[in-house]
Amino acid sequence: MGAVTTIGITLASFSGAIILGLALALIRLLGLRLINVLISGYVEILRNTPVLAQLFIIYFSLPSLGIMIDPVPAAIIGLSLNGGAVLSEVFRSGLNAIHHGQREAALAVGMTPWMNLRYIILPQTWRITLPPLGNYAIALLKDTAVVSAIAAPEIMFWARNLVTSTFQTTFVYILAAILYFCLSFPLARLVERFERRQSAWL
Amino acid sequence: MIDNIRDFLQVYVENWSNWGPQIYAAVGVTIQLTVASFSMAIVLGLLLALGKMSRFPLLRAFCVAYVEGSPVLAILFLLYFGLVPLGIVFDAFTASVIGLGLSAAGYIAEVLRAGIQAIHKGQREAALAVGMTPMMTFRYIILPQAFRIILPPLLNMLIILLKDTSICSLISTEELMLRAKDLAMMSFLPMHLFLLAGVIYFLLAWPLSIATRHLEKVMQRGRRQTFGI
Repeated sequence: MGAVTTIGITLASFSGAIILGLALALIRLLGLRLINVLISGYVEILRNTPVLAQLFIIYFSLPSLGIMIDPVPAAIIGLSLNGGAVLSEVFRSGLNAIHHGQREAALAVGMTPWMNLRYIILPQTWRITLPPLGNYAIALLKDTAVVSAIAAPEIMFWARNLVTSTFQTTFVYILAAILYFCLSFPLARLVERFERRQSAWL
Repeated sequence: MIDNIRDFLQVYVENWSNWGPQIYAAVGVTIQLTVASFSMAIVLGLLLALGKMSRFPLLRAFCVAYVEGSPVLAILFLLYFGLVPLGIVFDAFTASVIGLGLSAAGYIAEVLRAGIQAIHKGQREAALAVGMTPMMTFRYIILPQAFRIILPPLLNMLIILLKDTSICSLISTEELMLRAKDLAMMSFLPMHLFLLAGVIYFLLAWPLSIATRHLEKVMQRGRRQTFGI
């Protein structure tokens, strides 16, 4: 049960983080100074504060402004906002790694800027960013454990409840650790394969 | 709008005599936690990195598997609550240091291994050929060169650890996050206190981030020069 919620929260916030991160990185490319300052401020703040603090602000502090959010949506929002900041840096370095000649050539053959982005830039960025994206997915999976602090019913939360009802403290927590390991181990192998495939292209 | 902000800030001024000393002490604990677990992680990480590169397959497999790991929180709960039935009782601070140290060690091992293996093996062979012992080779030839590759990701880990100390509040370690939470519950001012905690973490972590980015640039410059030769 807890594992399903953990995977759900991971997937949802991973997609949220990818969308937000890509959007931020692309908006940055436009080169509007004020907006860029705002975005880099956002990225710096979110990257330099703990996820737990962000979750507490969303879950415990926003109600004082009259905004109530349930634990699971709050967790997904918090992790997505945080992940968006992290991934925007990943996407930015991916986009920067692509030689500007690619863009110039695409525009020269008469592609629109949108087509250039869609068919030339993004496919190449995708390739570069895949390994760090995978690593981030693993980190995110582990970060979901923190979400139990705002009472989202994932593995750790479920483990804590089970402990209070069975008193099998050692067993339950070892089980929880093994469960996380079983989830992150295949993911790590997958990332390793991406990395190897990528170095094969170089 | 401006009135709202002034009212908001006024609350800090009014409560500072109460909050200030407590927050101040809690920040001290957070820094102690970070430093202690970072030192532990480096020592353990170095051992793991050496184990990963060792000739014994079993040791290697263990050290590789160690890295995957599980979340900090799971490790902390296991250490703090899970070992009690076995008669092993840590206080919250010790459990936090061990838990953070263990979880960071895997990452640090990976950083160290990558850094050490990035040094051309001719360096080692040359050092051995001039009659240096393996220990001297590692100490005087490999480590100084690996250091510049390793330093930025190590600093990055320090930032991650600093942020992760907040998780230790969940096993009742008296650090910044727990203090903020307690004060928030007592004063019914969650917005003020969690924002304050966020700002303090930011002020601690941001200089480190800037230093890391600067170092990354400096180190890269050095490497490009060596390629240029």
